[in-house]
Amino acid sequence: MQTGIRKVGTMEWEVPLGYVPGMRVPGRFYLSDDLAGSVEEGAVRQLAHVATLPGIVKYSLAMPDIHWGYGFPIGGVAAFDMEHGIISPGGVGFDINCGVRLITTPLTLKDITRKRELIEALFKTIPTGVGAKSTLKLSARDLLDMMDEGAAWAVRNGFGNETDLEHCEENGSMKEASSADVSQKARQRGMPQCGTLGSGNHFLELQVVAEVTDERAAAAYGIEEGQICCMIHCGSRGLGHQVCTDHLKVLDKATGKYNIEIPDRQLACAPVSSAEGKAYLGAMAAAANYAWANRQMITHHTRGVFASFFGLEHEDMTLVYDVAHNVAKIEEHVVDGRSMRLCVHRKGATRAFGPGSRDIPRAYLNEGQPVIIPGSMGSSSYILKGTATAMEKTFGSTCHGAGRLMSRTQAKKSSSGADVQKTLAKQGIIVRATSPAVIAEEAPGAYKPSSEVVRVVHEAGISLTVARLEPLGVIKG
Amino acid sequence: MPHTELEHTADILIRVWGQTLDELFSDAATAMAAVMFEHRRCAGVEKTFSLTADDPESLLHDFLSELLFLSEVESIVFSDIRARVEGNTVHCTARGEPFSPERHRGGTEIKGISYSGLRIINTDKGYQVDILFDV
Repeated sequence: MQTGIRKVGTMEWEVPLGYVPGMRVPGRFYLSDDLAGSVEEGAVRQLAHVATLPGIVKYSLAMPDIHWGYGFPIGGVAAFDMEHGIISPGGVGFDINCGVRLITTPLTLKDITRKRELIEALFKTIPTGVGAKSTLKLSARDLLDMMDEGAAWAVRNGFGNETDLEHCEENGSMKEASSADVSQKARQRGMPQCGTLGSGNHFLELQVVAEVTDERAAAAYGIEEGQICCMIHCGSRGLGHQVCTDHLKVLDKATGKYNIEIPDRQLACAPVSSAEGKAYLGAMAAAANYAWANRQMITHHTRGVFASFFGLEHEDMTLVYDVAHNVAKIEEHVVDGRSMRLCVHRKGATRAFGPGSRDIPRAYLNEGQPVIIPGSMGSSSYILKGTATAMEKTFGSTCHGAGRLMSRTQAKKSSSGADVQKTLAKQGIIVRATSPAVIAEEAPGAYKPSSEVVRVVHEAGISLTVARLEPLGVIKG
Repeated sequence: MPHTELEHTADILIRVWGQTLDELFSDAATAMAAVMFEHRRCAGVEKTFSLTADDPESLLHDFLSELLFLSEVESIVFSDIRARVEGNTVHCTARGEPFSPERHRGGTEIKGISYSGLRIINTDKGYQVDILFDV
């Protein structure tokens, strides 16, 4: 581990005050000894930079999938008080409400007799990759409603059911959304992309529940061993990217206006209570809602494919939960025995609210919320549950995925897309992507093992494993 | 070589050089186009625009962001991008071809241009800047 950083718990490390000038609180991150060597100095520096921002409460945090990003590190979590604290697009990222959801089916492995055709049908039905456009024609009014209502807009228009909404973080709609703060340019980008998967690490994966480690929680979530599931990972597409770009410019100017000193320009920010801060929160929430509507529409199309292949009804495929992993939210937390309203930023981190939280579905109240951790292509994904420890230590947050070990260029050099595809095919995993390069960039070896990242959060107690899922097939952009 | 890729685990980081700001901006845009699509040619599409910003880094950021926006909403794959910088204004002429699924499927989607580490400096090779693309 790098100089100056000390271990403060089995899986917990501290970045002390003074690691970079101007830190208001220490940094804390969660990592096993095995993963300790994989942390980049740049990521730790970014974690420390976040600790310099006004109004930060307790710690600048990072989860075990920490890596070097821009502004906040990926895997970063930070909470700011509503009075003196700030909001920053650098703590959310360009892909606002990039997130993941899990849908169960009543099928088991023996029902999947035409896997290749099924994957092909999903690939043909769901617009995937750069330049892919939605088949849905939206009016300008529809888009505004979608941004204000989120997943509820999609359900109201026939793309799902009421249970889907109960099973989304925020019920699939942030009430702070203000479509008026979303620029014309962002709307132009969002119009043709609703219901599209995107590219890069986004995917739709066919999975089987390989192991249940917490029977009671799994039963509450409706998950059982041998069950076939679908996992969807995508975000707010060009609309969210443009909202970030537009508001970054505004907040870049506001940083000076409010005399905030920042060590990295991507940490441009403004007080949460300022006009600029509120406008960003409103636009970001609108983009987050667009992302929930987007995942809801992809869910609908996925159900349609399964209906035609297996004669299922759409209601036979239940949404277990939908979590956001790039977002800033106003939440209530207990800090040093006192209840506080905070602006919690999670950038490449997942909310992991514990049992009894009023913000989780009633059916999951005794267990804590489901946390969905997608593996890299070809590796295990996990369902975890939120805990009281997460509420105490990490503002109810945990990891979001495996975390990259290798750059995309390195990954492409180390193996070709065709080789990766062949290796995965030998393991029975069918990959359908727009190009071999995408497959090479996202090869399993380019990521930290998801099992190790999950072991860290489990042992640290900030979420607990419920089930492991293994991939059967995947579509990618 | 007007640009090179630097090591970055999560995103794409490039270093660009130019004898003049015109060259630096043009090379940065060309490098971005190369990150996005492998097959590029000039085939009948031309866009021109001008932008103003407070400082050279903001100008570069806004200029690249505008090209991303145009590429996406107008379905254009740019290949030849010429920039002329006059004070705090950039004038751009960008040529390319319409996006075609056959030629361009599997391209890399750039989500945004980060301000992180975006500093234009003067070196013995001329101007230099590192640009981090979120992909």
